Amino acid sequence: MTKPTKEREIILDILLEVLERGGFVHVILRQALEKNQFLEKQDRAFITRVVEGTIEYRLTIDAVINSCSKVKVNKMKPVIRTILRMSVYQLLWMERIPDSAVCNEAVNLAVKRKFQGLKGFVNGVLRTIARQKDTFVFEDLSLKYSMPQWLIDLWREQYPEETVEEILKSFLAAAPTTVRCNVNQASMEEIRASLDEQQVGYRVSPLSSQALLLEKYDYLDSLEAFQKGWIQVQDASSGFVGDVADPKEGDQVLDVCGAPGGKSLHIADKLKGTGLVVVRDLTESKIRLVEDNLDRTGFTNVRAEVWDALEYDPDWEKKADIVIADLPCSGLGIIGKKPDIKYQVTPEKLDDLVSLQREILSVVSRYVKPGGKLIYSTCTIDRKENEDQRNWFLQEFPFESRSIEGFLGDAVQEEAMKDGYVQLLPGRYPCDGFFIASFVRRAE
Amino acid sequence: MAIRQVRTIGDDILNKECKPVKEMTPRTQQLIEDMFETMYEANGVGLAAPQVGILKQIVVMDVDDGNQYVLINPEIIETSGSQTGPEGCLSVPGKSGTVTRPNYVKVRAYDENMEQFELEGEELLARCICHECAHLHGQLYVELVEGELMDVGTGEEDYE
Repeated sequence: MTKPTKEREIILDILLEVLERGGFVHVILRQALEKNQFLEKQDRAFITRVVEGTIEYRLTIDAVINSCSKVKVNKMKPVIRTILRMSVYQLLWMERIPDSAVCNEAVNLAVKRKFQGLKGFVNGVLRTIARQKDTFVFEDLSLKYSMPQWLIDLWREQYPEETVEEILKSFLAAAPTTVRCNVNQASMEEIRASLDEQQVGYRVSPLSSQALLLEKYDYLDSLEAFQKGWIQVQDASSGFVGDVADPKEGDQVLDVCGAPGGKSLHIADKLKGTGLVVVRDLTESKIRLVEDNLDRTGFTNVRAEVWDALEYDPDWEKKADIVIADLPCSGLGIIGKKPDIKYQVTPEKLDDLVSLQREILSVVSRYVKPGGKLIYSTCTIDRKENEDQRNWFLQEFPFESRSIEGFLGDAVQEEAMKDGYVQLLPGRYPCDGFFIASFVRRAE
Repeated sequence: MAIRQVRTIGDDILNKECKPVKEMTPRTQQLIEDMFETMYEANGVGLAAPQVGILKQIVVMDVDDGNQYVLINPEIIETSGSQTGPEGCLSVPGKSGTVTRPNYVKVRAYDENMEQFELEGEELLARCICHECAHLHGQLYVELVEGELMDVGTGEEDYE
């Protein structure tokens, strides 16, 4: 009989797929956990932690390995460098695992993958690192926070040094799952009572009384409040889009890139069953995500459609009271939740996104009726995609900025809000990095 | 000592009934040593004699509990409970499947000195005893798999 697959071997395979073949962490991780469904809960948690941590800290980890190994990381065999990376993460960031266990498991793994000849090397490098583990201090921000240098430079152009460091630090802090409550489906008291009964650990977001930060729960699917559609996974920052949109009963709303539908459901909830929200996205699979959420929450004033936002739809010309344009973006604001973004984005990709956003805005702005609102948002921290895009839009189209003061609760206070936009920075606020700009179409 | 060739699924010998061992001979002793070596080389936790082409009732096991077990002419005399989980076999390379086995097994067998003894095992050891004893009767775990037999990537070839 073969040796049963151990957690560390599963971790190695996931990381090889992600780091050596460019797979998406959350996809590969989910597949692996599904395939190994007999694992105990703590084993699943261990796998998730090591995989995500190794990816999140990869640049720092590589610097540590390179300082203790003659053969540099980029010259090593992929299996060996992956074993070293995941082991260094455990040595430096998981204090409860004894160093000797980490080293032994790494050696076993190397042998199991037919690298008997390199077991001395693996053991030597890891034991050296374990011995010196208190001496690894990096002044350089890129190595200290494991962030590609060009992204740090990008933010340095726009923000003071302390702000940049706050952003970097916040990306590495643990982020709880944020859910928004559909307060017109159930009262906050009912929702909280349901969570309490299932012994879910949560606290109210400092940013919104309707956003809860879940800290202790098993599976979201198992929560009554989720099954009944009372809560929806959505960051507090993204929840502000619905608040800024401020729909009036009976409004016709078009959400042009809306999957999985968080903002639309929020607006549907605010409409209290009146009006109509049409959510569009590019593909069947994305629209299916919206439909899943609709089935669960039971909103009847929302419709989901496959539609390419670049394609003009004459039926909506000057019809919408509100257009929600949460457009494709570089995602630099959610690196804390999806660390692989920082390695995959490139300066060229940012430029491509700026063009794409402009093209989409040119099309969808036509749907707004005179006096109607357009809300542009992204989950990124990049002036070209955010502030510059807002200025360009005001210049090119018959819209004026619309003050958003008073729409973001008491905690968010930014000068720019009276000019109709806000860049939320993680570190300054307990949420994702997020940009919102609000416009109103001029009367004719 | 020598590493022997592991027979893989499709080889008729894996479906044959094995004969009991009547006495310990130097040849059989050598076989047992080779079986351990072959098992360790292949990263296994258990190996039965037919897997190296010998139709004798001999099993070797090492489930990382600090013991090396040799079971000669084994007979499972008691089982209880159940466990469901992934299982793989050195004779079915690159595959794994879900198998339900008893969680506790008691087996009576002879050791390498032909002394009778009883061994109790739980969890992995119980699973391994069942898996290896089945080999002695020409049975492979693939007949017991619930759902699909899955591929397990060993990965190394692709990254060289």
